[in-house]
Amino acid sequence: MKIRYTRSFFLARIVLSTFLFLCCIVSKAYDAKNPSFNDVYVIINTNTAKLQQIFTMIEKQTPYSFVYDENDINLSKEIKLAKGKQLLKTVLQLIAKQAGLHFIEKQNMILVNPETDNINKSVMKLNAALITGVVLNAEGTPIAGVNVSLKGSKATVQTDASGRFSIDVSDKAVLIFSIVGYKTQEVTVSGQTSLTIKLEAYNKDLDEVVVVGYQTRSRADLSGAVSVVNVGGISKLPVLSVDQALQGKVAGVRITQSTGQPGDGVVVRIRGVGTINDNNPLFIVDGVPTKDGINFLSQNDIESIVVLKDASSAAIYGSRAANGVVLITTKGGKRGKAQFNYSGYGGFQSHGTLPKMANTAEYVELYNEAADNDNAGVTNPALIRPKIPATINVANTDWLKAIFQNGQIQSHQLSVRGGSDKTLYYISGNYFKQDGIILNSFYERYSLLSKLNIDLTDKLSIANNINISYSKKNTIGSSGDGYGGNGGSVVRYALFRTPAIPVYDSAGVYSDLPAYPGFFGDGYNPVALANKTDNKEIQYRIFTNLYAEYKIIRNLKFKSDIGLDAIMNNDKRFDENYGTNLRINNPSRLTVSTSTNINLIWNNTLSYNRVFNSVHNVSLLAGTEAISNKNNLHGGTDRDFANQTSAFRYIGNGNGLIGSTTSFESQNESALFSLFGNANYSYRNLYLFSANVRRDGSSRFGPENQYGTFFSGSVGWNAHNETWVKDHLPVISKLKIRGSYGQLGNQEIPDYGFVSIIGNLYNYPFGQTPSSNPGSTIATLGNSKVKWESSTQADAGIDIGIWKDKLNLTVDYYVKTTSDMLIPIPLPLIGGSSKPPYLNAGKVENKGLEVDLNYKNNDHLLKYDIGLNFSALSNKVVSLSNGQPIPGGRIDNNYNATLTTVGHPIGSFYLYEAEGIFQNTAEVFGHAYQGKNIQPGDVKFKDQNGDGVIDENDRTFLGSAIPKYTYGATGNLEYMNFDLSVFFQGQYGNKIYSQVNMDIEGFYRAFNVTQRVYDQRWHGEGTSNTMPRVTFKGASNNKYPSSRFLENGSYVRLKNVQLGYTFPVKVVSMLHLKSIRLYATGQNLWTLTKFTGLDPEMHVSDNVKRDTYGGDVAAGIDWGTYPSARSIIIGLNLNF
Amino acid sequence: MNSSPHLLERGGSEVKLNQLRMKQNIINTLLMLCLFLGMAACKKYITKDVVGQYPENEFYKTQAQALLAINAAYQPLAFTTANNNRLWVFGDVASDDAAKGGNPGDQADIEFIDQFNLNSTNGNLASTWALLYDGITRCNLVLSKVPAIEMDKNLQTRILAEAKFLRSWYYFELTNIFGDVPIILTPLKPEELQIPQSTVQQIFETVIEPDLANAATNLPVSYSGKDVGRVTSGAANALLAKAYLFESKWDKAASTAAQIVNSNTYDLMPVYTQNFSQKFKNKQESVFEVQHLTGQDPKLGNELNQYFAPQIDGGYFFNAPTQNFVDEFEKTSSDVIDPRLDYTVGRDTMPWFNNRIFDKAWSPSTGYLTRKHQQSLAEAPNKSDGNLDYVAIRFADVLLWYAEALNESGKTADALIPLNRVRKRARESYLYDSTLSGYPNIPAGLLPDITSPNQFDVRKEIQHERRVELGFEFHRYFDLIRWGKAYATQALFDKPNFNYDLNKHFPIPQIERDRNKALH
Repeated sequence: MKIRYTRSFFLARIVLSTFLFLCCIVSKAYDAKNPSFNDVYVIINTNTAKLQQIFTMIEKQTPYSFVYDENDINLSKEIKLAKGKQLLKTVLQLIAKQAGLHFIEKQNMILVNPETDNINKSVMKLNAALITGVVLNAEGTPIAGVNVSLKGSKATVQTDASGRFSIDVSDKAVLIFSIVGYKTQEVTVSGQTSLTIKLEAYNKDLDEVVVVGYQTRSRADLSGAVSVVNVGGISKLPVLSVDQALQGKVAGVRITQSTGQPGDGVVVRIRGVGTINDNNPLFIVDGVPTKDGINFLSQNDIESIVVLKDASSAAIYGSRAANGVVLITTKGGKRGKAQFNYSGYGGFQSHGTLPKMANTAEYVELYNEAADNDNAGVTNPALIRPKIPATINVANTDWLKAIFQNGQIQSHQLSVRGGSDKTLYYISGNYFKQDGIILNSFYERYSLLSKLNIDLTDKLSIANNINISYSKKNTIGSSGDGYGGNGGSVVRYALFRTPAIPVYDSAGVYSDLPAYPGFFGDGYNPVALANKTDNKEIQYRIFTNLYAEYKIIRNLKFKSDIGLDAIMNNDKRFDENYGTNLRINNPSRLTVSTSTNINLIWNNTLSYNRVFNSVHNVSLLAGTEAISNKNNLHGGTDRDFANQTSAFRYIGNGNGLIGSTTSFESQNESALFSLFGNANYSYRNLYLFSANVRRDGSSRFGPENQYGTFFSGSVGWNAHNETWVKDHLPVISKLKIRGSYGQLGNQEIPDYGFVSIIGNLYNYPFGQTPSSNPGSTIATLGNSKVKWESSTQADAGIDIGIWKDKLNLTVDYYVKTTSDMLIPIPLPLIGGSSKPPYLNAGKVENKGLEVDLNYKNNDHLLKYDIGLNFSALSNKVVSLSNGQPIPGGRIDNNYNATLTTVGHPIGSFYLYEAEGIFQNTAEVFGHAYQGKNIQPGDVKFKDQNGDGVIDENDRTFLGSAIPKYTYGATGNLEYMNFDLSVFFQGQYGNKIYSQVNMDIEGFYRAFNVTQRVYDQRWHGEGTSNTMPRVTFKGASNNKYPSSRFLENGSYVRLKNVQLGYTFPVKVVSMLHLKSIRLYATGQNLWTLTKFTGLDPEMHVSDNVKRDTYGGDVAAGIDWGTYPSARSIIIGLNLNF
Repeated sequence: MNSSPHLLERGGSEVKLNQLRMKQNIINTLLMLCLFLGMAACKKYITKDVVGQYPENEFYKTQAQALLAINAAYQPLAFTTANNNRLWVFGDVASDDAAKGGNPGDQADIEFIDQFNLNSTNGNLASTWALLYDGITRCNLVLSKVPAIEMDKNLQTRILAEAKFLRSWYYFELTNIFGDVPIILTPLKPEELQIPQSTVQQIFETVIEPDLANAATNLPVSYSGKDVGRVTSGAANALLAKAYLFESKWDKAASTAAQIVNSNTYDLMPVYTQNFSQKFKNKQESVFEVQHLTGQDPKLGNELNQYFAPQIDGGYFFNAPTQNFVDEFEKTSSDVIDPRLDYTVGRDTMPWFNNRIFDKAWSPSTGYLTRKHQQSLAEAPNKSDGNLDYVAIRFADVLLWYAEALNESGKTADALIPLNRVRKRARESYLYDSTLSGYPNIPAGLLPDITSPNQFDVRKEIQHERRVELGFEFHRYFDLIRWGKAYATQALFDKPNFNYDLNKHFPIPQIERDRNKALH
């Protein structure tokens, strides 16, 4: 069977079965020899008849049956006929003329297609002939899965595994050969019966189209800073999320993981840190904007990712686009028969390098040495610090080893795509499960994507995308010290718990406080902490849109798109009561909550495109966008559970306490309404101009400041299209010079910022029989004058292609200034501790250089490409309200590690500068006064202002968590059936404040220490100038927030190595498949860094959830963060 | 997507074109209409009002809301987070009574206060400053909003008087700790918060004294039922007496204290330690008591229960009594110690809570821990959610102010009466406390009445009596300072960094100096 109808998979099945059914009927009824089409006569007994009637009449009189799609053909059309006995061919010609149809004979079938404009109507192609052929690539290798379609009809076949095809067509037919990755080719049959087609590989940079600003545009026409991500690379890379896959791929886009815990988000920064509040980019998935993350997407579903970096490119998306835009287009249907794909992988994940901690013997030795140091000169026997007797029988636990595990990871995805010329579909289902590398953490997701495009008429088309996902995760404490509410990082507790405590006590239960807490410390048993964490988040998300596009007249289109992003979270957390004297989580507590976050987006655009006199290319766009968001939260709590087993972790089972259950509910809403316009003009594809204007209104601002208007524009010069360049510099295939300037608004502050809000829960007990009395006061101060923050960006760029674009270079330089920065300016404390109002107060400048370099060579059997990207960034606060600095990054009560102030980057570390160790008493006395009990062996701090006293005025700026340079390098190699890909990623110049080193090297409490302390501690003059003596008494000085704990966060990491093998065509066709690729991947296999913590890839800790100034102001503080995993994965990709 | 343009046939019929134009006109009209409607509707569309919470302009309208507002003004008094409420650090740790305690480097900032190694960035300064001004802000909201509410006049008067008392309390603490501080008496806008310090004298004379006098007139003598624990006229008078004492206005201090003593509203508890028990809340000795309640959500329990407990009970063992403090307690010739020592301090080999015997190793810095603010695990299983109140003004304290005021105003003989009343109760513990060995007989020579007619001697006795009677109730450091340079310097002899003139008050936190540029 050569001809298949591929309107849609289901339709194809229906047609096919009808076809087979009819074949059977026909062959039974007419045993006689199949008459030739030309000598079949029919008797017509009417002058007019409906098409349907004529078909029935012919079917009755001849062995032929008509096969058609009812959607294409108007069966009730009246046809004028001549009465009498006539040749079937003549009758069909009559019908063809009047009904605009096209007939093909196929055995006993007559296939009916609507005629299109492009085919000569007067010619009937009833003399179908079988054409066979083979499709090859430039190297002569057959290509499987090429769509071979008859121009002007919907007849389509595909090449098999050996690149062969056959199709029935007339001798003057035109065949179209198309497949992703190759240029589409048209071939006129002109009497040939056997064809050999060579397809040319598609050079994507030349005439790539990208979806930007509500419309599809040729990349060559763009004059803004736009990066297109190599998606082929992404689907090769098994990583949890799409945004993670972007890491290191685009210059100017920095991606870091908050933690390595499965399901924890990643942080995306495009062109630096623009503001002290929200710096997340806007994601737009198939036209629907979201700021709530894109975890629901499976990376196998991604067709393309485009990053809009400069103001002019992002401006049309207006509000919320100030931090850049990431446009994601998911895969859609494709003309042709149904193509199935299975992609799956599975593997193991484990931890990378861990800090070396002291063992029990070393710990005891250090403790006793510290006791000796501290007892020197103490006469009161009550104050002599006792030493750990050698007789105590203690364990030697490796706590880090105890909390880490090998986690499994797996993903399975099945998809099908196909379509006819009017209907396209894509359906995929994905299952993903990742076990954490630390006990009891996991993330699991099911997702379904369904996409349908239908051309209802020539003018009207509709499309519907539906993404549904379900995910479940258990979140153990992965960062911070618990201040943010997550109980604190399990890693942190594992690091500082002394090895002398066993995991389980003699009764087999988790040991808690040791018998001698003075000797062996307290804290939590990290194994118990992880295993007893029951903090489940279940998320349901529907991300969908429906749009209709109507061609009003030639070149003028109207599109209306309604999107819905509905997120429902079911959170359930149970804090189990356990430990010595049941001290932990006393009383036990259950909190359940359900939140729904509904985003509705409706945008309408009117677009006009036209080329005048073949040289003036004009496109205009105008539109409106309405976005509304509604958040609901409700839930309840219960306490003191008599039965703490999981079966009883439900509200209502709390025990005893009167009023132990509470319930809560809240709601907030916001809305945006925008009008926007865009105009593009290019002359002979040489000079490009673009201008945007957008007026945004936001409910987050007070009545008088709701609207902001933002303009932007860009110019470009495609110098390679100039004749003189073509003539004199043939080596240059591309030379584009671009410049853009524009402004964007940011409104990412909490809802209702313009009014002061009364808070409850300021309770206080009164009464003969005491009871809690509610109290209320102002919780959040409002500012009725709060208005749009704006970011102004200037960009200059150049794109160069050499040797037919084998070598590509893109360089951009930009200056991005955020002004009227929305800051909750800290009020003087005499105004109370209500949350401060957001003021428009401050200016931040980001300047940067971005370079993308790519070289590829596909000319030989060994094909390779090498991509490098590099970006340099400098971030500086230009002004702040009142010049008042903003402390951030709490590291202890009222201690902050960073200060954001004029002249320095956002979130600069502001600390004392350690300058070695006092070697002897003379040095102590010779140095600026540091306090009463300073001894030789203690840390020496630099007297920055030279006043002879070390005090708060001696703190200084010592760098920030913002890297000066970030880079990525990718190498892809292909030889025969093997492919190899290697990907490095890194950053340079950022600092990490290792707060956990303060705990495990500060030696202020009976906590375990690093091996480094044991090896390098000062124990007499000249023994060390980096690590102080061990002393509890001197700890206050030695652990002071200083450069001692500030580390170089630079790293280079081998993020991914992948070796793939594509099975030869022979093997594949034997298995009746189209292609098989098998691969093995290693992730995070190697890291070069000076950082002593577990993972230099960390951004902010959970603590920022409670900080007034969280986010980038508190970045780069490591409390012992859940590290990213090292993975070994094997995957399989099948097409059939 | 089909992107090939569908060209219009040239020379198409006039009708077709007209139809197209009409269609186009209709669509254009519709679009214009949509846009227009959109413009009109969008104003409404992007207007979102707060739901489920009151914006400020809709609150402070009813009697119930007036009560909510005053309740919130009490909240900063409590020790629900010992991290925020650092009164104990200034009152005890800074003094000669206590060392920081705890693990050596834990809460290093408290250590720096203990040693007078002071930076203005010390976290205790900011948290205490913020907490006290938070209280003042809430009082200011009450005082500016409640008068306009139509409500029961008596209740309105009481609420305003409560706010005046509380605001005075917060200012009093502020002046004790920081000396000169800005006065703020109404809710101000952010830009109006650049305010310089006023002198301690201005604060006392223009805020504390008039407000307390007003509160004493307008507050009830006592409460019943659900309002027990609110401030009374007695509390207002007591704080006023204390303010006069701190101002060395002896006559006024004596006469104000006399009002309280002679009102017969208050009396001493039979056993000293009953003041520090959950069984005897808001009893006759309590003049002003900060209320705590365990097992509430939001938490209303006392966190000092955890901060001062030994690690073995799940605590952090801060605020450790010094040897010097322990030595202050009187002994009889046969070595019977003032029972208040073991009511106040956990000592080696002595009984402790939870049927344990105290081990000096529990307190590595001094060998002692305080028993006050402590409960057994049976009473308070969640260490950080204790049920003990903090009696901020105890009648014994008032008696000793009275004694001091009388003595300083030359009425030494009169001063002995309240002084001996305090000593008598301490010694008569033996009559009522069956756990004391020797009960029910008072050991011979224990805490005899003071009889000296000498003002200087009686001053010494009062100073001594205050130290042992009120130890670990966060008063000591402020007493040290008001008794002058000689006394303080002598008491803090082992803190070489202490400089009376510099450390009389603590520095205004740096974070506030950064924000309020009007400070000098």
